[in-house]
Amino acid sequence: MRRRLTSAVCRFVSFARNDRLSGAAALVLVSLLLLSLVGPYLPLGDPEGIGAGPRLAPPSFEFPLGTDELGRSYLPRAIQGISATFLLATTAVMVTAIIGGITGMLAAYKGGIFDGIIVRIADIFFAFPIILTGLLVTAILGPGTLSVLAVIASATLPMFIRLVRSVTLAIAKRGFVTAAEVAGASTTRVLFVHLLPNIMGATIIQLTYAISIGMLIEGVLSFLGIGVQPPQASLGSLLRQGVLYLTVAPWMVFSSGFLLTLAILSINLLGDGLRDAIDPLRTRALQ
Amino acid sequence: MSELVQVQDLRISYETARGIVYALDGVDLTVYSSQILGIVGESGSGKSTLGMAIGRLLPSNSLRTSGDLFVNGKSIFDIGDEQIRLLRQTSLGFVFQNPMSTLDPTMRVGRQIRLVLNGPASDDSIYELLRRVGLPDVKRVARSYPHQLSGGMAQRVVVAMAISRQPSLLIADEPTASLDASVREQILRLLLSVREETGVAIILLSHELGLVAKYCDTIAVMYGGRLIEAGSNVSVFGRPGHPYTKALLEAAPGSERPGDWLEAIPGVPPVLQSSAHGCVFEPRCKFAQETCRTVRPALRPIENRLVACHRAEEVLRAEPSTAATHGRIA
Amino acid sequence: MQIIQYVIGRFFVALATMFGVSIVIFAAVRMVPGGFEQVVLGPLATPESRAVIIAKFALDRSIIEQYGHWLVAAVHGDFGISMVTQTSVTQELIRRAPATIQLALMSLVMALSVGLPLGVISGLTNGRPWQRSLGRLLGALGASIPDFVLGSLFLFVFTVWSLGPTIGGYVPFFEDPWTNLRAMVLPAVTLAVFGIALILRTARDAVKSVMIEGYIAFAVACGERPSRIVRYHVLRNAAIPIITVTATYLGYLLGGAIIVEVLFSVPGVGLYTYNGLMNRDYAIVQASVLVAAAVFIAINMVADTIYTLLDPRISAQQRAS
Repeated sequence: MRRRLTSAVCRFVSFARNDRLSGAAALVLVSLLLLSLVGPYLPLGDPEGIGAGPRLAPPSFEFPLGTDELGRSYLPRAIQGISATFLLATTAVMVTAIIGGITGMLAAYKGGIFDGIIVRIADIFFAFPIILTGLLVTAILGPGTLSVLAVIASATLPMFIRLVRSVTLAIAKRGFVTAAEVAGASTTRVLFVHLLPNIMGATIIQLTYAISIGMLIEGVLSFLGIGVQPPQASLGSLLRQGVLYLTVAPWMVFSSGFLLTLAILSINLLGDGLRDAIDPLRTRALQ
Repeated sequence: MSELVQVQDLRISYETARGIVYALDGVDLTVYSSQILGIVGESGSGKSTLGMAIGRLLPSNSLRTSGDLFVNGKSIFDIGDEQIRLLRQTSLGFVFQNPMSTLDPTMRVGRQIRLVLNGPASDDSIYELLRRVGLPDVKRVARSYPHQLSGGMAQRVVVAMAISRQPSLLIADEPTASLDASVREQILRLLLSVREETGVAIILLSHELGLVAKYCDTIAVMYGGRLIEAGSNVSVFGRPGHPYTKALLEAAPGSERPGDWLEAIPGVPPVLQSSAHGCVFEPRCKFAQETCRTVRPALRPIENRLVACHRAEEVLRAEPSTAATHGRIA
Repeated sequence: MQIIQYVIGRFFVALATMFGVSIVIFAAVRMVPGGFEQVVLGPLATPESRAVIIAKFALDRSIIEQYGHWLVAAVHGDFGISMVTQTSVTQELIRRAPATIQLALMSLVMALSVGLPLGVISGLTNGRPWQRSLGRLLGALGASIPDFVLGSLFLFVFTVWSLGPTIGGYVPFFEDPWTNLRAMVLPAVTLAVFGIALILRTARDAVKSVMIEGYIAFAVACGERPSRIVRYHVLRNAAIPIITVTATYLGYLLGGAIIVEVLFSVPGVGLYTYNGLMNRDYAIVQASVLVAAAVFIAINMVADTIYTLLDPRISAQQRAS
């Protein structure tokens, strides 16, 4: 265990040395994650403590990010917001990655009618405009975290199915899969022992992008007031509040907007870095 | 016979993620007009780098650390981008390994030829060009997209494009490696007939000894970024003067005699992280001795060829029977 | 011939997808609390109008017949009545479409005219390491900053200082082009930033991956002019991924510009739909999703058709499989 951890750290260091931007992004991301995990236990004040200070106070020593319209300290609220946004996006995307991954692999591996049906269903879901669909889902499920999870899932599921299916199709043609089949390996064994390790790279890259899309969706829905509901905070709902007091207390929009952008940016940069590390492009000078 | 290409002590390296790799490690070579020169070597021997260097077609991570390369007496490293382009356009023709990736998949063959001809070209001149490379039904070919042609037909189109501007030198880098065995000889015969027609010199870069021995009048053998033996086909393949050439011929399919043991060359070809002090083949060589490890053998003339081996005399004397071998692979 | 066959085949695929979308929406609307009558009529409808609707949409029949009636009505452009304004949803959508379309076109033009040349140039040149890193950072930033964050920033900057563009105050373009553009420029730029980054990144990657192809090396080896190589070989071969993201982006603009329409009070389809949801006017939401999905499918069909014109291998592969 310890040795594996050390080797993971070594691999990260060599990755970060080759691609400093992605290395920095990974560090920012890890710090944000840590902050959202340990944030509630830090002595920063109660995120839901109304009247902890004056209302709409600018940043000060006591309230590093100022206070909101109910006199709540904004820093613990922002940390609660990051943690909610991370949690929602990651949970939904993990679930869709597993479901979409297995479906995509099976579709590519089985082929035939099953594949045709899965592709059509993925196409159908892909055709739905994300945010408008979010409104429709909210109409059914009512505003709240459940709707957010459902919208993120319905938006990212077809992405995983499509990606994993096409990667599996490319790999299934290779000799080792045929060899395993000839040797009498069961479908489950072929899928999980022979195919899965080979599609992990592409899936992990897609996972990073999907999490950033999930965070974006959470932000949009909560910003529109149909996502995370008060008094719970998420980065999107904090922004929604902030826009109401944009001219009198701009630090609310700036800080929560900055955090959300930073989180999405570092995930995307990390995804780009992983993609470049796995599939580098060489360039020939045109002269 | 005038000198077309002169390579002088050329060293080229590539900067890769794993550090610098030496592709050419001091190569000297002269190519004369109307010659068919076969450059033989395993992949990684530097033959492709040499071929591409003649047109200054090296990737951007390549670095020339010493030496020079002259085409028609002019150094290609001294002239500007526009001049090297004109040189490629007027004097050089290239044929690459895989015709399917050499042709633009989104463009009809006729249009691609027209682009290369660089100027107003009539349909008839395009048809004439396609006919010259032995393609049937030229109108249909000109209207086709590359994916509608077979590999052999596509390679003929590539040859047509390469010779369309009457170059004085044709560089064919493994032109048959991606083709079916039955088509390989056809493409090489086509190159030969083009030379007879136009007098163009040809450099054939290949790892297939049999084809090179059959079609080339001059042979150059490369190993580890160096030229190790060069001379006429008869002298080099008839009686090799370098242990590597000798070992290659003995390992070539078709050279076996009943009762022989297969003699594979022990070891693997080197990836050069630095310029070796001695002979690059020394670790795999049966003839190796102390000097081979420390002193780089210079290319020197012996018995109608140039050899870079300290013990070339012994190699030549070692086993005269390889002449029979040559007869069989040719 | 192959291409025509392909286009016809592609059309039927689009039709099948649209059919699937309609089933999903039909099922979804039935799951809305209060049921379908409420979607069409709103909760406050009179018993008489309720009876009319039950007859019209065959709500007393089997679910399949209900779907049939609903589909026929939708195909005829009948999406029911908005309960708040008591007007036809279809007519309201048509009335609000121009603002959304104008917004989409302005953003698309900005995204293409900035993102495409920058992407192609950065794909062709290698640049120094710091230039590449800076480009990557800016590109990722543009693709990462959520439009409501960027929009909020613009909102702040342009309400505190008056710099020309206005927030709100939309008038139709043909009534007063200048006032219209002043109101539309901020929402359009907000949406364009993402598009610029998206198209730039895609164009750069596409050009880079074309540049290592054998036919580019061969064209260089044949002594073709760099400008001609770019024009005839690079752009054409790099076009497909660029068209794919442009189509996706356009679909996003036409179907999802809700945020900026809400933020900048642009009276387009997005704002209409958002207000519809807030008023529990679900007929509007249902109609918008259906129309947006149809537009998206149509855009992708057009994009697929363009691919076959650009790359003859696609229709051949399609026919072979």
